[in-house]
Amino acid sequence: MSYSTALPTHHQTHNPLTDAYHGKSAETRHLKPNELSTGTTIMAIAFSSGVVLCADSRVSTGTYIANRASDKISQLHDHIWCCRSGSAADTQALTDYVRHYLGQLAVETGRVPEVKVAAHLMRRLCYENKDNLMAGVIVGGWDPVEGGSVYNIPLGGACMSMPFAIGGSGSTYIYGLVDSEFKEGMTKEEAVALCKKAVSHAMSRDGSSGGIIRTCVVTGDGCEREYVSGNRLPYGPAGW
Amino acid sequence: MASSGSGYDLSSSTFSPDGRIFQIEYASKAVENAGTALGLRCRDGIVLCVEKPLVHKMLVSETTGRRIHTVDSHSGVAITGFVSDGRQIVGRARDEAANYLETYGTTIPPEVLTSRISSYVHYFTLHGALRPFGASTLVAAYDPGTKEHSLHMVEPSGVSYEYYGCSAGRGRQSARTEMEKLAINPKQGEGELIDVQEAVKQLAKIIYTLYDESKDKPFELEMSWLCEGSGWRHEGVPKDVIASAVEWAKKEIEEAEEEDDDEMEE
Amino acid sequence: MSEFTLAPTASTAAPTGFSFDLTHRNALIESSSSTSSSNIPAKLPKALKTGTTIVGLVYKNGIVLGADTRSTNDTTVADKNCQKIHYIAPNIYCCGAGTAADTEKTTDAISSQMELLRLNTHSESRVVTACTLLKRMLFRYQGYISAALILGGCDVDGPHLYQIYPHGSTGKLPFTTMGSGSLAAIAVFEEGYKDDLEEGEAVELVKRAILAGVWNDLGSGSNVDTCVIRMDGSVEHGRNCVMPNEVGELRKKVRRSDVLNMRSGTTAVLGETFRKRMGGGVTLEDVVVTEMET
Repeated sequence: MSYSTALPTHHQTHNPLTDAYHGKSAETRHLKPNELSTGTTIMAIAFSSGVVLCADSRVSTGTYIANRASDKISQLHDHIWCCRSGSAADTQALTDYVRHYLGQLAVETGRVPEVKVAAHLMRRLCYENKDNLMAGVIVGGWDPVEGGSVYNIPLGGACMSMPFAIGGSGSTYIYGLVDSEFKEGMTKEEAVALCKKAVSHAMSRDGSSGGIIRTCVVTGDGCEREYVSGNRLPYGPAGW
Repeated sequence: MASSGSGYDLSSSTFSPDGRIFQIEYASKAVENAGTALGLRCRDGIVLCVEKPLVHKMLVSETTGRRIHTVDSHSGVAITGFVSDGRQIVGRARDEAANYLETYGTTIPPEVLTSRISSYVHYFTLHGALRPFGASTLVAAYDPGTKEHSLHMVEPSGVSYEYYGCSAGRGRQSARTEMEKLAINPKQGEGELIDVQEAVKQLAKIIYTLYDESKDKPFELEMSWLCEGSGWRHEGVPKDVIASAVEWAKKEIEEAEEEDDDEMEE
Repeated sequence: MSEFTLAPTASTAAPTGFSFDLTHRNALIESSSSTSSSNIPAKLPKALKTGTTIVGLVYKNGIVLGADTRSTNDTTVADKNCQKIHYIAPNIYCCGAGTAADTEKTTDAISSQMELLRLNTHSESRVVTACTLLKRMLFRYQGYISAALILGGCDVDGPHLYQIYPHGSTGKLPFTTMGSGSLAAIAVFEEGYKDDLEEGEAVELVKRAILAGVWNDLGSGSNVDTCVIRMDGSVEHGRNCVMPNEVGELRKKVRRSDVLNMRSGTTAVLGETFRKRMGGGVTLEDVVVTEMET
């Protein structure tokens, strides 16, 4: 008889006394000891007929690279993908949930889910569990209503639709680059080239980003996955 | 009824030997005796219309016992039968719509809303401890995703279908015959389908045609639409529009009667 | 009567809810005793941890898993020959690093779920299923289950190798290492791994990687265990396949004093007494059976 689609909420209270004892501040209490973090560079651009999602491949535990060729671009539905940044465990669990809910929705409605619905679900989970999560996600994809669209869901659980989005620790190095190079209504090729250029620049400056560049181009026709290996990056020690 | 006294009609959790559930049939009977409710899908929207019997002369009829309710901005329902049962369904429909919006961030699609309402109604036909709803629900909704509008009806048994035009209540049979004459089904007939303005007039005419002043209780005509003109919002048809439609309907009926009389004279 | 009644008054009633008093006490003890020479232990006792080297790789015809066999308790070796390659399903095994109890109980729990699923679906277990169950359990416990796992196996989709971190993140890789000796082991893999290795080469590489941990990591040691899972479903366990720290032969050469090697009869028998066991006997009794009237 229950009609609500319940979303999971972790109820965990922080004890200010014990947290202070463990040297945790409001900013760092999310970080658990030895937790894997995708110290990351991720970005997505919406172009005329779809979106391109792009990410580096480095996963680190402190100073150790736990995985140098990981895939931070995850599929949420046929034409909806997301780039993950923050805690690997948290973002993997989040994408699993969103994938589950989108699958259910697609069966109930009998139609292709919209990217904004995926972003909304992701935002809800991120916002309602913000005390227990460290996740910055960029949702991008194609649907018949809006075409290609990109949504940025940063740490606190906001959700904003934007023509392009960048995220992760490496993004701070490329805000200027992307702001100056981004144009409204780019072609697929221009968008992919900008993504690769920007991410490779971030990888060269950010210690937590590196490895290879993975891309995913989503249009109404489907998705194309590609990668640029570490010695063929458009910018960086190996490329020039 | 053949079923009375047989013992098979005491609970909706019991089938009769010939495979019927009498409690559901009784619930449908409750709807068949109530005021007529009509729904019409037009070229540019949907019109809902209910004949609300005025049970008391001192009733403040415009604000109480309403039969048409807004579920959310893009959907509305008309109920007939046990009004209180209908209100229960309306409450559930509103919860479903709000919950869908909260969960997915988009308006609930008409067919999902309908299917959730029918699941709810159907649930009440499954348990011995529950009584089926004695109300039929006409669901008019617009889907901003597909930019399409649709009309569904949920019956006390929990079944639901989509319609070009549908009716429930006392005058449902004759109303259906009348509605079939209108240009509402794009698969039948030629020429343009009617619009909501025309539909308001036609529905008023149907209700007044079925009404017999000498036998039936006085009634109030409740009408709502969900159309291009209303920005695809579900809202009541303005009083003056209803009034002029009623005026037109009465004149039409009068003229038709005069013609009949003339024919008889010949 | 009334003298035994002790009704709490409003002013003396204890506050309700959880008391954090002991948290403060423990914190105080931990911080004070480390600086003073008091007899109170400086730290609370820690769980047994497998400072470990575990590895896994995909080869031409399946998966090879490897592990050392040292289990430590702080700086003490608690078990010189423990098993760190755990059974998940007939075609899936899992190496565990972290708290020994956690890795054991976690893999046990998931292997039982996998068996029930196998019985319900009448089909072979898949590695992704085990991976999903493990990551869900670990994520639910938010890293408090200290289990870092390397999951490997062969199913209808081919050979699969996953690494699973205590917080519940996973990665699918062609080769991986975990535990305190993972840095030493990965160096061996980075140097020697190729796609489509032959089985012999793969097992040798795994042994070399574990030995790198055994020799260079304090937390790892003793012997090498391996496990080969082939695409045809066969599994070959290489329990203690390398024993570089075997001390048995060496021990035999050591002359031990007679105090440690006493012959039977060394202790004099002063006397013998036998006593009959008391009570608890069974009594047998003849019973006359009477026919019932019908």
